[in-house]
Amino acid sequence: MRVAIAEDSVLLREGLAGLLRDAGFDVVARCGDAEALRQAVAALAPDVVIVDIRMPPTHTDEGLRAAVEIRAAHPDIGVLVLSQHIEPALAMTLFADSADGVGYLLKDRVSDVAEFVAAVRRIGAGGAAVDPIIVSALVSRRRPGDPLGGLTPRERDVLDLMATGHSNQGIADRLFITLRAVEKYVSSIFGKLGIPATGGESRRVLAVLLYLKDVNGGGSPT
Amino acid sequence: MAALATAGLAAAAMSVALARASDQPAVPAALFVWIMLSYVVSGLIARRRRPDSAFGRLLVTAGFGAGLSNLAWSANPLLFTVGQACDLLVVVLFLHVFLAFPTGRLAGAARPIVAAGYAVSIGLQLTVMLLGGFGDDNLLAVVDAPAAATVVHAVELIALSGLVLAGVVVLALRRRTGGLPLRRSVRLLVDAFALGLVSLAVLLIMGLFAGPGFVVVQRLTLVVLGLAPVAFLIGLLDARLARTSIGDLVMELRAAPADLRPALARALRDPSVELVYWLPRYRSWVDHDGVPADLPEPGGPRAVTMIERDGEPVAALIHHAALTEERELLDAVAAATEMVLDNGRLRAELQASLAEVRGSRARVVEAGRRERRRLERDLHDGAQQRLIGLSMRLGVLEARLGEDPAVRQAVTEAKQEVAASLSELRDIARGLYPAVLSGHGLAVALESVAAQAAVPVRLRIRVPQRPAEAVEVAAYYVVCEALTNIGRHAHATGASVDVARTGDTVHVEITDDGVGGADTDRGTGLRGLADRVESLGGTLRVWSPAGGGTRVRAELPCG
Repeated sequence: MRVAIAEDSVLLREGLAGLLRDAGFDVVARCGDAEALRQAVAALAPDVVIVDIRMPPTHTDEGLRAAVEIRAAHPDIGVLVLSQHIEPALAMTLFADSADGVGYLLKDRVSDVAEFVAAVRRIGAGGAAVDPIIVSALVSRRRPGDPLGGLTPRERDVLDLMATGHSNQGIADRLFITLRAVEKYVSSIFGKLGIPATGGESRRVLAVLLYLKDVNGGGSPT
Repeated sequence: MAALATAGLAAAAMSVALARASDQPAVPAALFVWIMLSYVVSGLIARRRRPDSAFGRLLVTAGFGAGLSNLAWSANPLLFTVGQACDLLVVVLFLHVFLAFPTGRLAGAARPIVAAGYAVSIGLQLTVMLLGGFGDDNLLAVVDAPAAATVVHAVELIALSGLVLAGVVVLALRRRTGGLPLRRSVRLLVDAFALGLVSLAVLLIMGLFAGPGFVVVQRLTLVVLGLAPVAFLIGLLDARLARTSIGDLVMELRAAPADLRPALARALRDPSVELVYWLPRYRSWVDHDGVPADLPEPGGPRAVTMIERDGEPVAALIHHAALTEERELLDAVAAATEMVLDNGRLRAELQASLAEVRGSRARVVEAGRRERRRLERDLHDGAQQRLIGLSMRLGVLEARLGEDPAVRQAVTEAKQEVAASLSELRDIARGLYPAVLSGHGLAVALESVAAQAAVPVRLRIRVPQRPAEAVEVAAYYVVCEALTNIGRHAHATGASVDVARTGDTVHVEITDDGVGGADTDRGTGLRGLADRVESLGGTLRVWSPAGGGTRVRAELPCG
């Protein structure tokens, strides 16, 4: 799997590149800013790009803007946005239309190498990765009386993992339950929340995220 | 003066003689004589009473101009030629008088209008005469081209009519943009005579057709124009009556009103009068509210009268330039003001000091904001990056470790330690400066704040136009601090945050359903917020009845 990295801190950029190389990725580009990433994407057509949200020159969100552009121009290229802060509203702009091949993770996640590598691989294959903090931020804001309250603790665990982008098999491995049990929980959750059961895993990530966002009632960026 | 009066009388006598000798219709002839006398006499009185004013001289000139045009009644070809040449000059003299009232000087658009009037009334009139117009007694006739003369004369009349109407427009505009320092009744009287100009313009056009109404309009116009100088004279001399208002002024000022302006405006009959104070400490003129003010340039529409004490200026009156003609009135008002202006001056000085303090507080808060922003950047690019690099290395190390449980345990603990540090640093960085705010505005930044709040938060952000960053940051901190307090003290089950921009104000309101009774004096957080909000000229209020929830409301101007 071919990866391009855009990160202005040399330390992190080289660390990420080494980590991914060791995991069997082909790191084709290492960029210091969004402009270099755009050129690398055009020239090298990587499978996945990993991009820091805050880079020169303005140090605000050029990484996010580059990510949105790349997704629009090359839907087949997976995009993983890394951030030092969790901004649910920004994350939602990334997931606005689909969760196919897209991820938003806290930078700290690189410390769990296996998990991080799995997320990059998932995104490269068209899946999704949503930072657990975003999911819990969305879930924790639920209002009294909404259908989330009707979920059992186990169903809540499954919902959280589902929203972060894990496959049924991934959920089963994590919770030490069978695949069949996961499928049962998933259909029960969708039934209780009134989300139509849809096919692909990344599509259901989007459905769950949008559901959680709506439950939280507005707060849409103007 | 006496010579002028004699000359005036002589001219009047001559006009009467000429009118009697020729077959002039009696009524208009009498009116022409009356106009001439009225202007000359009014002008002489004005000159006597107001020697500084150029207006009296202008009135006299207009009177003699009217007299010259009466020469056209003479049977003597030379006198006739001179009179005829001045026939329409008198129209422009009237216009000049109206536009120059009360100073006797022309300003702004009036100047080119009157200049054009003189050029037309002399230039074209002479052209008509060169072309042989106005009959056989015209000594200036060079060629005999009656058709051309008629055309040029028509052009002359139309042009003059247009210029007179333009003059009326100038008068109307001048009236709208701050009138003259006259009593209301006197001003109405003077304005009414501007109608004389309109009727003059109509008369000029009617002269082209010699229609049936001509005689009526002519008489009416002559009567109005003849009465006008009397109105002007009343307006000019009305200031004499003002002297009695000094007594009232002194009585009013003794009552030590906080603001001296209304009393001064009444005494000077100039509603636009301003009183400014000289503050030696700031080396600056300031108004009643301590706001720095500039003295007008000499020669403009506004004039300055200094109020001095021991030879040093302490204050100044800024007023309509026409008032400079009434030196005695101004001196009396200035003297009366000098006795009582200390209160106002102290107040203005206090206000100026307050403004200075407010400005320095705003600068301190702004410097703090910049410093926090810089610190946040340093953290982001420094410590946070390094710790993330460290945790990544630990992760790689962990993946390569053998099965020794003690070593694994040690690495895992180190990783957890680093993760906790990163989490703490993240909170500190956010508290220092919300980086997302500069890039994405309040709605996005508050979304994260609400997501991480201790209670469910209903957000309503309606800020279609982004205000200045300092305002956004203040609004952001108000919400953060309020939500933190709710999490700590309110025992609430929910909160709502409303941020709305209406016009030039951003309203921020945070309410909760908790126990209320928040002590607004105890928390330094709220005090710091109030400082921040007030440094921007805003207000912060907290309502927290025991058992009734808490409401924090900030209003931030962002104009």
